[in-house]
Amino acid sequence: MTDHLLIESGGPQTGPACERFVGDAVRLAGDGHRVVLFLVENGVTAALPGAAPGIETFLRDGGEVWVDTFSAAQRALPAADLAADVRMVEMDDVAAKLLEPQVRAVWH
Amino acid sequence: MARPIPATDVLLNLFGAPHQSDLVTSALRLATALLDRGARVQIWTCGDATGLTSAALGDTKPRDLTDLERRHPSTALIVRDLLADHPDRLYWYVCRFCADDRGAADQIPQVSKRSPFLFAEHVKAADKALVMGVC
Repeated sequence: MTDHLLIESGGPQTGPACERFVGDAVRLAGDGHRVVLFLVENGVTAALPGAAPGIETFLRDGGEVWVDTFSAAQRALPAADLAADVRMVEMDDVAAKLLEPQVRAVWH
Repeated sequence: MARPIPATDVLLNLFGAPHQSDLVTSALRLATALLDRGARVQIWTCGDATGLTSAALGDTKPRDLTDLERRHPSTALIVRDLLADHPDRLYWYVCRFCADDRGAADQIPQVSKRSPFLFAEHVKAADKALVMGVC
């Protein structure tokens, strides 16, 4: 089992690339890996309910969805408007996760 | 003689167009957060991102005509200050080919221009690498 930090910066409006990246997160979580999907920049819009259906499957399979507080605020997206099980985080939380030795990270 | 590449915890590769998205903001926020945690960080810029540290930028952006009294720092000044604040833990590299190709060969002295053929050595010197802005 490997820990993964997957960082999505584009969001659903960029086309199928976001959906496929979330799909990677779903498959990794489904295989039993510990996965954090961090949404940043326009990627935070994937946390809106129904915007990226794979997110719900990912959460159900034990994945964690982190949403960048700064990016959400820039886009006037309060936490109350986002899916219920996501976690609002600061960049410091991401740095801490990235520096964990066992974590593999991808920026998309 | 080849210049040594310091070992770092994280390499951030800025490959995407820097002003098309929030790429630069995100990279600088992440780099700052990593440095605040005591990490060693190197940043490698390719393509148009090499212009972020062009000497031609000077210290400030052009004046905002709606707010003439305010001065906004250029990215070159932001990078220079960040490097000055973390002299032994932050390194900024600029792809020589990309910079030359874009008329940005004249860089601020605090950054290092490197041949693209050395890129793999920089990846090897980092525990982790993120490629930002291209996919």
